[in-house]
Amino acid sequence: MRLELRDVRYVYAPGTPFEVEALRGVSLVVEPGEVLGIVGGTGSGKSTLVQHMNLLLTPTGGEVLVDGVDATTLKKSELRRRVGLVFQFPESALFAPTVEEDVAFAPRQLGLDEEEVQERVLESLRALEAGELAARSPFALSGGEKRRAAIAGVLAMKPEVLVLDEPTAGLDPATREDLLALILGLRNAGISVVLVSHDLDEVAEVADRVCALQEGRVRAIGTPAEVFYREPAQAPATVRVASLLRESKPEIGAPVRFAETLDALRALQGA
Amino acid sequence: MEHPGEGTRNGGSFVVSCESVSFSYPGSGRPALSDVSFELRPGEYVGVVGPNGGGKSTLVRLLNGLLKPDSGRVLVSGRDPATEPFEVRKHLGILFQDPENGLVAPFVEDDVAFGLENLGVPRKEMRDRVAGAIRAVGLEGFERREPDTLSGGEKQRVALAGLLAVEPDILVLDEPTSMLDAAGRREVLAYLETLRAEKTVLHVTHHLEELVRSDRILVLNGGELVADKTPERFLSDADLLRENRLVLPVVQRLALEIGLSPARLRTPETLAEAILAKTESGTRAG
Ligand SMILES: Nc1ncnc2c1ncn2[C@@H]1O[C@H](COP(=O)(O)OP(=O)(O)OP(=O)(O)O)[C@@H](O)[C@H]1O
Ligand SMILES: Nc1ncnc2c1ncn2[C@@H]1O[C@H](COP(=O)(O)OP(=O)(O)O)[C@@H](O)[C@H]1O
Ligand SMILES: [Mg+2]
Ligand SMILES: [Mg+2]
Repeated sequence: MRLELRDVRYVYAPGTPFEVEALRGVSLVVEPGEVLGIVGGTGSGKSTLVQHMNLLLTPTGGEVLVDGVDATTLKKSELRRRVGLVFQFPESALFAPTVEEDVAFAPRQLGLDEEEVQERVLESLRALEAGELAARSPFALSGGEKRRAAIAGVLAMKPEVLVLDEPTAGLDPATREDLLALILGLRNAGISVVLVSHDLDEVAEVADRVCALQEGRVRAIGTPAEVFYREPAQAPATVRVASLLRESKPEIGAPVRFAETLDALRALQGA
Repeated sequence: MEHPGEGTRNGGSFVVSCESVSFSYPGSGRPALSDVSFELRPGEYVGVVGPNGGGKSTLVRLLNGLLKPDSGRVLVSGRDPATEPFEVRKHLGILFQDPENGLVAPFVEDDVAFGLENLGVPRKEMRDRVAGAIRAVGLEGFERREPDTLSGGEKQRVALAGLLAVEPDILVLDEPTSMLDAAGRREVLAYLETLRAEKTVLHVTHHLEELVRSDRILVLNGGELVADKTPERFLSDADLLRENRLVLPVVQRLALEIGLSPARLRTPETLAEAILAKTESGTRAG
């Protein structure tokens, strides 16, 4: 699926003293099978933006297009199945008596047969190393365990575009790495992933393109190298190290991913 | 169970002590904490890490009496939070993991003032402390916003301001930066750094880079305290890290991979300098 936002604007509480212009004309495309990273400071509009991708919020200006078609003309349930959104605080959406039932809820709504539902539930839980949580109550879990359950619930819908709003907050480092590997696996299977994160190191590892938001506008969009080297002070650790070395060692180039950066550093030392 | 007289530890060298503390949530087969013992000395900055479900937040809830141990004992400034929770909460303040749930008042400034209201602080002083705390976390201009309408990082700052306003001697921070952006994280960490020595801090996190300057790091896994080490030893113990689902931060991992010591290179700047020094000396020698 190709998801396009055209000049999207959004105002919270319009006409009141608390009016906030959260998006001030954002245009971007999520191409089929790409990982688009969305970064930006607190309050820059990231969560507001991603809630437009399945029309959980309706833009107060501009439009959202799915394969060129105005998304408001599509059935909401259909759109929400095709664009799966994991909220920034997904824990608050858990509701069923067990984790298993919680994860099964959405796929069951799709009218799949029970065997398929169970298969998807197990597969999604296992992908997040949450298999052993299946029979537990989602309310009696640790913070990170709740988050895994919530992400599994959206995965089980098998969306064409998976939108993750700060999914790694609260995950232990190994689980964070597993989730990043999972994102790359989905991408390789043709699914688009939108990853909102304030952890630039993880965006650097998986994103094909990065969109940087600032005060409700797109400050920069492009490849990770284009976006991050433009403002190295607000870049992942790899880019910060490399850009500090670049002044005296221009041969280091513009590495972004960990492995690329390591190769570049080794080449520098070998020289 | 032993019952040492009230205050046997009082005036001793510990502000927090856990003696063989065990706890299971009702109806749960597996203990969330088993036989955990450790102490905090005044002014120490101690990190807590470990896998999801390791017992970190459970430990936090036992420290202010929100949960009571099944066995063993917690002492905070010589008092037992299980029996004197209100007394303990004047000395020990907690920033809980979930910034969503903690915010209760209609406006940000009321929320920050909430903890103070129970302490009987005079109005004028209360206003000053609230304003100071809001400034400390960079939330000026948000005083009259409704907490419900804030972004995740903004909520987390409100919760931190509420804790700071109470001015406890002991700060317990459960993933205090999980929702902050890179700049906000740096600011909050820099602020915590200014409290060094003045406050005792217990800092739970999944971001190991936040703990490179701590005095000690505790590792909780499966409810057991499996390590209590200096950051230097901790960061260079690959087995310990792997067994506890921990991954070195990028700077330290790069350092290690190119043969530099990860423990002393804390920032991209220090790593870049070390690499330059090494390549320069290499060229001069060659
Ligand atoms: N309210 C509860 N009822 C029952 N069990 C619980 C409850 N809260 C947590 N647990 C369980 O207790 C254990 C310890 O949980 P705790 O919240 O202390 O972990 P944590 O180390 O803080 O994890 P995280 O990194 O995910 O925040 C886990 O097995 C968890 O599933
Ligand atoms: N429900 C809401 N009501 C009013 N203002 C809001 C609401 N949600 C977010 N905002 C405001 O909109 C702006 C963008 O917020 P958000 O999209 O959550 O940012 P981010 O996800 O980048 O941190 C912020 O100024 C925030 O305070
Ligand atoms: Mg957000
Ligand atoms: Mg926790």
